[in-house]
Amino acid sequence: MEVRYNPAAAADNSSDHLRPPASSKHPLPSPHPVDTSAVSKRLQKELMALMMSGGDLGVSAFPDGESIFTWIGTIEGGKGTQYEGLSYKLSLRFPLDYPFKPPQVKFETMCFHPNVDQFGNICLDILQDKWSSAYDCRTILLSIQSLLEEPNLESPLNSYAAALWNDKEDYRRMVHKQYFAGEALES
Amino acid sequence: MVSDSIAAMPIPSAANTKNPGKKKRTNRSAKLKQCKIDARREQWLSQSAVKNKGCKDGVDDDSHAPPSPAVKHTNRPLEPLNTGGRAEEDDGLIHHDSDSESPTNCPAGVLCGTDSGTNFTGSSSSGGSSSSSTSSSSGGCCSGNITEEEDEGDDDDDDGCLDDWEAMADALAADDKRENPCPDSPPVILPCEGSNVGSPNSKSEGVRFVPWGSGNSRAWRADDAFRPQSLPNLSKQLSMPNPDRRCVGGGPWGRASMPSSCPICCEDLDLTDTSFLPCLCGFRLCLFCHKRILEEDGRCPGCRKPYECEPVETEASVLGGSLTLRLARSCSMIERS
Repeated sequence: MEVRYNPAAAADNSSDHLRPPASSKHPLPSPHPVDTSAVSKRLQKELMALMMSGGDLGVSAFPDGESIFTWIGTIEGGKGTQYEGLSYKLSLRFPLDYPFKPPQVKFETMCFHPNVDQFGNICLDILQDKWSSAYDCRTILLSIQSLLEEPNLESPLNSYAAALWNDKEDYRRMVHKQYFAGEALES
Repeated sequence: MVSDSIAAMPIPSAANTKNPGKKKRTNRSAKLKQCKIDARREQWLSQSAVKNKGCKDGVDDDSHAPPSPAVKHTNRPLEPLNTGGRAEEDDGLIHHDSDSESPTNCPAGVLCGTDSGTNFTGSSSSGGSSSSSTSSSSGGCCSGNITEEEDEGDDDDDDGCLDDWEAMADALAADDKRENPCPDSPPVILPCEGSNVGSPNSKSEGVRFVPWGSGNSRAWRADDAFRPQSLPNLSKQLSMPNPDRRCVGGGPWGRASMPSSCPICCEDLDLTDTSFLPCLCGFRLCLFCHKRILEEDGRCPGCRKPYECEPVETEASVLGGSLTLRLARSCSMIERS
């Protein structure tokens, strides 16, 4: 790929011209050679971390089939929430330039939630513009788990769920209805 | 104090029978207790200094005077109150433990200590002479007193410190005695009179102590300049868990300041990488990943701040608060892995 430059040089760059014109230095910005081995290394490490500690937290994930770029994750509904006792399946698809780009995460189990649409798409900032390559599968799943009990009612994908959120009884009923309807559909 | 007096009555017989094993333990803890006593002594000293200044009698000249027979003699009236504890040496350990913790725990704790110091002098001057007469009456206030006697026994074989302490206590007791005429001190005597029944009264005794203490003696505060060095350092104990949280690298990522591998690509960090700190938040990564991020959105994965666009110091000083807050959050997410 490229020759590693030493940090002193990098520091010089930044101090001499305030913004190091990285793009002008490398006029071809994006065609990174796909280094699948590096990505799989990272994913394997995430998998290990998740298997070591994820279970205690109510989240788990495992590669789905041969490819390590597609995972199936599970999230247990938090105790004391409307989702308690329910277990949701999600799919995670890691791009080849992961972790510089976020994975695509979808609910596979029907989920009645203000920020989840009928196709299972999730509206969560860290899966979009707030993504950081320091996040990993575990933090994603934990974030979604906490999203379940703390929805962002400002930008709902499911406005009915958002409207019903304050009516705990009916909301819970809808959560269960949709969950078991989805299960019936699956089997 | 309450627990002291409750324990004081029933235990002695049992404690005396199973003496031999216990003696060893007592001796071992003698050093520790001596330390605590020293603390109490210092505490006492400064208290009495304050008191003497405030007292109307103005007997400053004698406040730190060496013990004299006369001083001891003034304490005679206290004797009978203390004799009950003479035979109960071995539960002194128990009493002392609860007693010594009181300065930090209960507002009246200092006073408990105060009481014991005073009584101790009385009984030690009288030795075992004052016999059975009022052992029951000492129920409440003898507990601390027992403690000191117990220590006396231990210290004799440990070091010569005791004489010093005894003399000091005598002097202090003398001060106390003289202060009794002061309007705020009578409660010191009252508990002794009313403590003959034991636990129920000792509770009220503790209550009655409070007003006296509110005058000029109070527990040490952590920042008190006069606080004895030998008291356990609370602030130090409280800060024990903190080193974990402390940021070594100048930011919340500091704890992971020397990861063995790049958190982004999981490749091992080489020497150049480990000496490379691209962001003030302390998030480290390898040069490859850093370069790649620069080519894309150019924001630090640790804090989402743009990399090195502005002089870092100014940015940090302006955004300090929010920056750290946000970092702490993302940091906790990462550190769980």
